[in-house]
Amino acid sequence: MILTGSQIIEELNSNNIIISPFNIAQINPNSYDFRLGNSLKAYKNVVLDPKIRQDVNEIKIDKKGFTLDRNKFYLGSTFEKMGSNKFVPIIKGKSSLARLGLFIHITADLIDIGSINHWTLQLFAVQPIIVYPGMLIGQVTFWMVSGEITLYNGKYKDTIGPCESLSYLDNNN
Amino acid sequence: MILTKKKILDEVINSRIIIRPFLRSNLNPNSYNYTLGKKYCILDKKGLGDCNAHNLKTIPKKGLLLMPRVLYLMHTHEIIGSHNYVVSLIGRSSMGRLGLFLTLSADLGNLGKAHKWTLEVYCVQPIMVYSGMKIGQVSFWKPRGEITKYIGNYSNYNLPKTSIL
Repeated sequence: MILTGSQIIEELNSNNIIISPFNIAQINPNSYDFRLGNSLKAYKNVVLDPKIRQDVNEIKIDKKGFTLDRNKFYLGSTFEKMGSNKFVPIIKGKSSLARLGLFIHITADLIDIGSINHWTLQLFAVQPIIVYPGMLIGQVTFWMVSGEITLYNGKYKDTIGPCESLSYLDNNN
Repeated sequence: MILTKKKILDEVINSRIIIRPFLRSNLNPNSYNYTLGKKYCILDKKGLGDCNAHNLKTIPKKGLLLMPRVLYLMHTHEIIGSHNYVVSLIGRSSMGRLGLFLTLSADLGNLGKAHKWTLEVYCVQPIMVYSGMKIGQVSFWKPRGEITKYIGNYSNYNLPKTSIL
């Protein structure tokens, strides 16, 4: 079951959901609109190997905006620190930006329960598109769970801003 | 409702969820990490293809370099399925962060027979993949209502299967 907007507010008040900073104007009937942080990362290499640590260039998004190149892949992050120890979050793009051909994740929309930090966004533009710091870029939904809860304690815990892939830490790749 | 790690484990033990082979260490707080199978195929220039024995390829031991603008059909190494819970297959965030699409648009599975799932794989930048690597996550969802089993054809395939539209 998915939480309604008013239930999201109730769970925020009970500390079962964390959204910081929180703005009530960003609540939707069954989701919360989140903002884009003010920096991006892009890989220096063209060819990526998950077994090898990949260096990144950091890009500051200034107020005039930054144009995403359609042949490139960028990592962004939510402006908000978000998560829940009780519900499973799933992120989606905002339909207004999807209608412009912007992916904000390309496969991994499911967030682990207990992952409370800035969430990394996987940005891919079908056509060049300008993004701005703090713009409303996506939506988060919260889902009820069945079973005893184990909280996330993985390699992306407590990340701040966009975090590149840490797949090279996997021992069996 | 989505199943937690503990609940997935319980239901695997009860055979109400099938994941074979199963490794406890591949459980996440609300999903299970599946690994990449060995076989794949590529669609031809007309977007057509048939993953028959003739054009089914094997990922080399040293890995396979995927190229942008090519659609690869790959498969899960594991046999996965459930008559009791709805499965959803996505890529791992570690792979998504490298620009790898895993399942294009259709991440929702059907209730029914366990099999190896075909994965639509597409990359933004060239990327290496290795058979046996942890590549995606499957989550399990409790349905509401009487269960009608999937009678479509895709669950009969354990190798990458092209569209039968």
